[in-house]
Amino acid sequence: MSDQYLLSRDHLAPLLRRLAKEYRLVAPVRNDHGDTMFQEIANPVATVPDLESQPQNSLKDFLFPQQEHLYDYRLDDAGGYHFQPPATTTPPTLFFGVRPCDLNAVLYLDVVFLPGRRELSYRRRRENSLLIGLNCNQPFADCFCAAVNAGPFLEEGSDLQLTDLGRDFLVEVGRAGGAEIIRRWPHFFRSAPAEERNRRFQLYLEARGGFSRQVHADQAIKRLAADTLPSGVWEELATRCQDCNGCAYLCPTCTCFTIVDQPQDQHHGRRLRLWDACTATGFTAMAGGHNPVQPGKDKLRQRFRHKLELDVKKHGRPSCMGCGRCVGACFGGADILHFINLAGR
Amino acid sequence: MTIDKIRPGGVIDPYLPVRARISRIIEENPRIRTLVLEPLEELPAANGARSTAGRSSAYQPGQFVMVSVPHCGEAPISLASSPHEPELRLSVLKVGLLTEALHRLPVGAEVGLRGPYGRPFPLADLHGRRLLFIAGGIGLAPLRSVLESCLAEPEKFGPLTLLYGSRTPADLAFGEDLARWQQSGRVDCRLTVDQGAPGWTGAVGLVTELLAELEPAPEQTSVLICGPPPMIRAVCRQTAATGIAPEQIITTLERQMKCGLGLCRHCHLDHHLVCVDGPVYTLAQLQQLEIMELG
Ligand SMILES: Cc1cc2nc3c(=O)[nH]c(=O)nc-3n(C[C@H](O)[C@H](O)[C@H](O)COP(=O)(O)OP(=O)(O)OC[C@H]3O[C@@H](n4cnc5c(N)ncnc54)[C@H](O)[C@@H]3O)c2cc1C
Ligand code: SF4
Ligand code: SF4
Repeated sequence: MSDQYLLSRDHLAPLLRRLAKEYRLVAPVRNDHGDTMFQEIANPVATVPDLESQPQNSLKDFLFPQQEHLYDYRLDDAGGYHFQPPATTTPPTLFFGVRPCDLNAVLYLDVVFLPGRRELSYRRRRENSLLIGLNCNQPFADCFCAAVNAGPFLEEGSDLQLTDLGRDFLVEVGRAGGAEIIRRWPHFFRSAPAEERNRRFQLYLEARGGFSRQVHADQAIKRLAADTLPSGVWEELATRCQDCNGCAYLCPTCTCFTIVDQPQDQHHGRRLRLWDACTATGFTAMAGGHNPVQPGKDKLRQRFRHKLELDVKKHGRPSCMGCGRCVGACFGGADILHFINLAGR
Repeated sequence: MTIDKIRPGGVIDPYLPVRARISRIIEENPRIRTLVLEPLEELPAANGARSTAGRSSAYQPGQFVMVSVPHCGEAPISLASSPHEPELRLSVLKVGLLTEALHRLPVGAEVGLRGPYGRPFPLADLHGRRLLFIAGGIGLAPLRSVLESCLAEPEKFGPLTLLYGSRTPADLAFGEDLARWQQSGRVDCRLTVDQGAPGWTGAVGLVTELLAELEPAPEQTSVLICGPPPMIRAVCRQTAATGIAPEQIITTLERQMKCGLGLCRHCHLDHHLVCVDGPVYTLAQLQQLEIMELG
């Protein structure tokens, strides 16, 4: 990221108000229950983003939603069977306050969904989105992004990248959409002197030292690639997993899905695409009782192999971004940190 | 080589099915029926050429389509017709929600189709070779497509042999085809049933027993296999033991599939996704994978 500016902390709210006139604004917001979630901010005067907490959901909810309405179908009396895509509008959306792990997760979704024109809806939403990232000066309790090279600071991929310097935010310009914001609203930004740029590096070093967990992802990745995991790892994980699929739904990079029809009446229905999970019993089951995955033994194997072995082979990096969400969510003790620890035994 | 439907404005929508009408139904046995389909919409191929599936070489033997059935979603079904035939055929075994619904549809009803998907049988590599087809039950569906292609271009292939196993004589499917192939004198068809019945004069036993009676010339023979996993396992083992190279033993796998596009991941197999990397594999390829069919 080349051009660097300062944005005064006092100017953040007015800037967001300006941006909210042009874009649908999505940012972390603390709700009445005390949970912080990425959500749409319809009124940026009344609602301020919560930049102190890690949102429970990720941008996956918006770019690849839990439920996608693919088509309406209709049956006519002559036996005709017609599919109609629902009318859609995709408002230009600005995602604000995106942590490096979640931003890297979006870059991974791009790699999955954008090539080969396979996905219309993801492409439509992605092409209509801007990403303003926020580096993490202080990792949260379950974070381990540094162990998988996905944080705590982002080097590239966002449109604008913010670092909290205290009175100001350092603003680095990344992709074209960021330069456009600076060009259109220049009065919010002033150029950043060299010492402020150096502070970014200082903060980065401090953040790297701020993780509360020691995570040896490298070792798990190596042992998976070499097929030298200690024995019994998959069996232990399979007994611990309680089949809730929470890890996959919360994970910003899990993309397994299913497609189902939802009849509305005898002649009408909707075709939906829904999140699914490779850990789900029945994900691979076939007629005649054949199942290529032995649920009692290999239930979690594909999940961790996919993230830490297959994607390393295919894309050159693991698709776990170390956000720690599954760690916080898993009550059985079968999350990815648990796997990494077992793999290192 | 896709026949994705294109939305107005030229956007390819990979999930959008095209309409096809059932023009004829062949009840193969109480659990298998063949649907002859007539596509109702012209399908613009990805290369821009206008083609209609079933009346063109828009697909290749071994490929499959995702079939939509009203209120039941979609299922992957092999194209049982060959690109040389004027019609599109699907043969379907009744096993669950969607396939049972397909068995209830009358002539004139419509289904949705998208595809074709998957890597086909490597027909060009089989030119000049003796072909041994080994199928069990519904497994003859994808092999039928290859057989019909071979019969349409007889000069390109060596002698054709088919070993076909069913549970009982009443389960014997594809009777019309078998009779025609046998009468043509071009396919050596050998049938067997697991359990005989009064009136059945043919072989009783597993296809592997029929196979043991043959002496295929290992240098010149390629084997094409489709059937339930235990059959694939046994036949792969047995044909490999006769000295046929694993590169010449070819099968096609079944997996759960929801998209056909290499995205939904239900068909994961090691680092492969069967819908795009398969479903057709040589034994040599399968030996590199950790796979239940060989387990
Ligand atoms: C490439 C390919 C080609 C194929 N070609 C043909 C063909 O030519 N002809 C043909 O008849 N079939 C073919 N099949 C198989 C066919 O796709 C399946 O039989 C079909 O999808 C079953 O759908 P259904 O709705 O009828 O059954 P389902 O209602 O889905 O159930 C079938 C059985 O699968 C199991 N099952 C499925 N989902 C689950 C789950 N979530 N949890 C637990 N168990 C589950 C159950 O044991 C159930 O009895 C092919 C499959 C593939 C992958
Ligand atoms: S995992 Fe890293 S990037 Fe993500 S919130 Fe935690 S510290 Fe920030
Ligand atoms: S596997 Fe867990 S830690 Fe890794 S990206 Fe997914 S939710 Fe976050």
